[in-house]
Amino acid sequence: MTRSWFTKLSVLVMACVLVLSACSSGGSSKSGNADGANVSGNNAGGSDQSGGSGNSGGGSSSGSTDDPFGGWIEGLPKIEAPEGFDWRQFEGITLNVITENTPPSSGLAAHIDVFEQATGIKVNIEQVNLDIVVEKAGLDFNARNANYHIIYADPYQILAKQAQHFVDLNELNNDPTLPSIPGGLEDFIQSQLIVGGYMGNTDHLYALPYDNPTMILAYRKDVFEKYKDLFMQEKGYDWTPGPEMTWDQYYEIAEWINRKAKEGVITEVKYGTGHQAKQHDSLMNDFSNVLASFGGDYFEAPNIGDIGAENPGKSKLTEPEAIEAAEFYAKLLSIAAPGSTTWDWTGLAEAFAAGEIALAPEWHEFAGMFEDPSKSRVAGKVSWTILPKGPKGRGNMYGGTSIGINKYASEDEIRAAWLFLIWATAPQTQYMILDAGFTPTRYSVYQLPYIQTAINDPNSQEFKEWPLAASLAAAQEAWKEENVYMRPKTPLWPQIDTIIYTELSKMLAGRQSPADTMKEIAKQSDRLTGN
Amino acid sequence: MEQAAIRPLKRRAKWNRTEFWMLLPSVIVLAAITIFPFFFMIYASFMDYRLDMDHPRFAGLENWQNTLTDETFWQSWGRTVVYAGGGLILQLLLGTGIALLLYHIPKFRNLFSTLVMLPVFVAPIVTGLLWRFLLDPTYGFYHWIVRQLGFDVQILGDPNFAMLAVIFMDVWEWTPLVTLIVLAGLQTVPEEPLEAADVDGANAWQKIFLVMLPMIRRMIVVALLIRSMDILRYVDTIVITTEGGPADATKTIGYYLMQVAFRFQDIGSAAAVGLTMLVVSTLMGRFFIKVLKAEEA
Repeated sequence: MTRSWFTKLSVLVMACVLVLSACSSGGSSKSGNADGANVSGNNAGGSDQSGGSGNSGGGSSSGSTDDPFGGWIEGLPKIEAPEGFDWRQFEGITLNVITENTPPSSGLAAHIDVFEQATGIKVNIEQVNLDIVVEKAGLDFNARNANYHIIYADPYQILAKQAQHFVDLNELNNDPTLPSIPGGLEDFIQSQLIVGGYMGNTDHLYALPYDNPTMILAYRKDVFEKYKDLFMQEKGYDWTPGPEMTWDQYYEIAEWINRKAKEGVITEVKYGTGHQAKQHDSLMNDFSNVLASFGGDYFEAPNIGDIGAENPGKSKLTEPEAIEAAEFYAKLLSIAAPGSTTWDWTGLAEAFAAGEIALAPEWHEFAGMFEDPSKSRVAGKVSWTILPKGPKGRGNMYGGTSIGINKYASEDEIRAAWLFLIWATAPQTQYMILDAGFTPTRYSVYQLPYIQTAINDPNSQEFKEWPLAASLAAAQEAWKEENVYMRPKTPLWPQIDTIIYTELSKMLAGRQSPADTMKEIAKQSDRLTGN
Repeated sequence: MEQAAIRPLKRRAKWNRTEFWMLLPSVIVLAAITIFPFFFMIYASFMDYRLDMDHPRFAGLENWQNTLTDETFWQSWGRTVVYAGGGLILQLLLGTGIALLLYHIPKFRNLFSTLVMLPVFVAPIVTGLLWRFLLDPTYGFYHWIVRQLGFDVQILGDPNFAMLAVIFMDVWEWTPLVTLIVLAGLQTVPEEPLEAADVDGANAWQKIFLVMLPMIRRMIVVALLIRSMDILRYVDTIVITTEGGPADATKTIGYYLMQVAFRFQDIGSAAAVGLTMLVVSTLMGRFFIKVLKAEEA
């Protein structure tokens, strides 16, 4: 009897323990999520302390009617909704997002519980290569389906030819029953908004800026500091890469490093310059930097690089500037690291991170990889500047993308997707995912003291905390109108791009002259576009 | 007498009805996955049909005209002949050679056969990744060996070597399949002709070329049939390693088709290109089946 009572008591105690631990783990998981939501807030608090702005810390508005997401900090526009707006009115809806595997996608995926808990909307983020995004979005649009409600709207491969399948975001932004874009459209970097948000005119807004990789120059500062005097003695000028460097100087420096590395004088690198010159989209990007700085361009239609045009007009590649640029590019690649013709942007980054080359025109988002000692032998030895100038200016290729909403989704799904866009592109969210290697697309984020310190003071703690800080001063310089180059935005761009990099690859293989290459691209492009 | 003749016929007709109903589900599935797409391809090849269009429009022979007058199309077929021809010849020679070696090593034959077969089990995409890493100019082991031998060659970046490299990758992956088929054939060769050849004083080479290989010709043709149909559409390693470059040196017809369909999203033209591949595959298949039938006769 006593034994039976003892058994019953034991079972009861164990059951109580189990129930309590379940409650406790439920509580801790919730608080864990809340902590997760406040990570950036805490981070922000910390950074603001160091930045001296003295805000009350992230999460101060967490749980309020207007901003259920948390993470807002002083200085950023707030996420605001109309009076009495129910953030959970779309609870139970599932949104599918298809996006390229880029830093903002990884950052948002890591913090998606913040959005899901605030709205009750479930979000599946599918991260794939860009060509898969293009294919799946195309299939969805063609079938008038909304398997994907939110789409990574690459301006050149998706938006240019399929803008009509996206919801006009102006309608949602101006809807008095819905929250509007925090800080307004004017808080987005304007050139990025125009190229990523519109097509053909600015009457309809199809997407909001999401990422903004830009090609700038990565260089080995240890090499440039160590051999500065030697180069000065031999060539008579300061070779440190900077805004005043010309492409001719770049060639001379790269050739000099090749020679000294071969002689065994320079041991840190094997080659002066490396390029992303594989038969791939990367080759078009790499060449375009030179083309723009020589005053050349692909087509004659006005605004083709920003708002875009259905008809790009006649090709301009037979003009002397383009031919001169092609001749220089062929000359430059003849002294580049031999692996250049096998490298796309990732291959080039890996070679640079392995310490093979001293100079590399590369997308600024690779700064995070270069500064990561587990992936790079050159961590702490890399500096960035804008690309060299040519006879007619400068070109830093822009490669940013926006996100938009599939118009074949149901009305509720569209409105739920709008809440996601509001959150995903909000300044406070951009600030929250900085640690994923994200580059903000909002002016307001750049004005924060933390960001200012990180960008402008390489010795600061903020600089060390933010992987991309090393490249962002140069990237911001590259975004200026006089420095940036934006490729043609026209529906037939994938075909034209293929013609360009295929013919350039033939040129680099010595199969045709630079002049013939430009003429061949012009001939094929004009035939394709009917001009 | 008459009744006796009619009864089996009736039974046969009844059996045919049962057979028909039993086969019907398979036929429907087959129709859904092969016959419908085939007719859809024919339909699409006559339509202006791109993924960014609202509705496909009838285009007559335009897709066919554009495809057949496109230089890249014919150049891609030319490269496919080199890729497929080179690959098949090497696979046949190496596969038969390895099979003969394995046949003559009775000890540990199963172990060696398993080891030889390993590449076949690797997914083609993984094969591409593997070779891309091995030939990478920055950290590729094989590239390093080539450099140590004094050759500063960019194997995947040089049009003269890139095609050889992708042929070699195909050979590495699929030679074991040919080996397996030929080895299976060799194991069916009866002992008597070989003993007779011994009695006649034939040496090892004569036994191989005059007795064994002629007896397994059918198996070799089957191996060629399987691989030739496969190699025409095989693009995985090319996509991963060279993407058709450099200077279009590895742009085979399969890669060209993929580019037209998925990069340019021109379904109409892609259907026309695909149908030309279907015609060539069918002709090749018919040729090998004819050879097989001739062997049987």
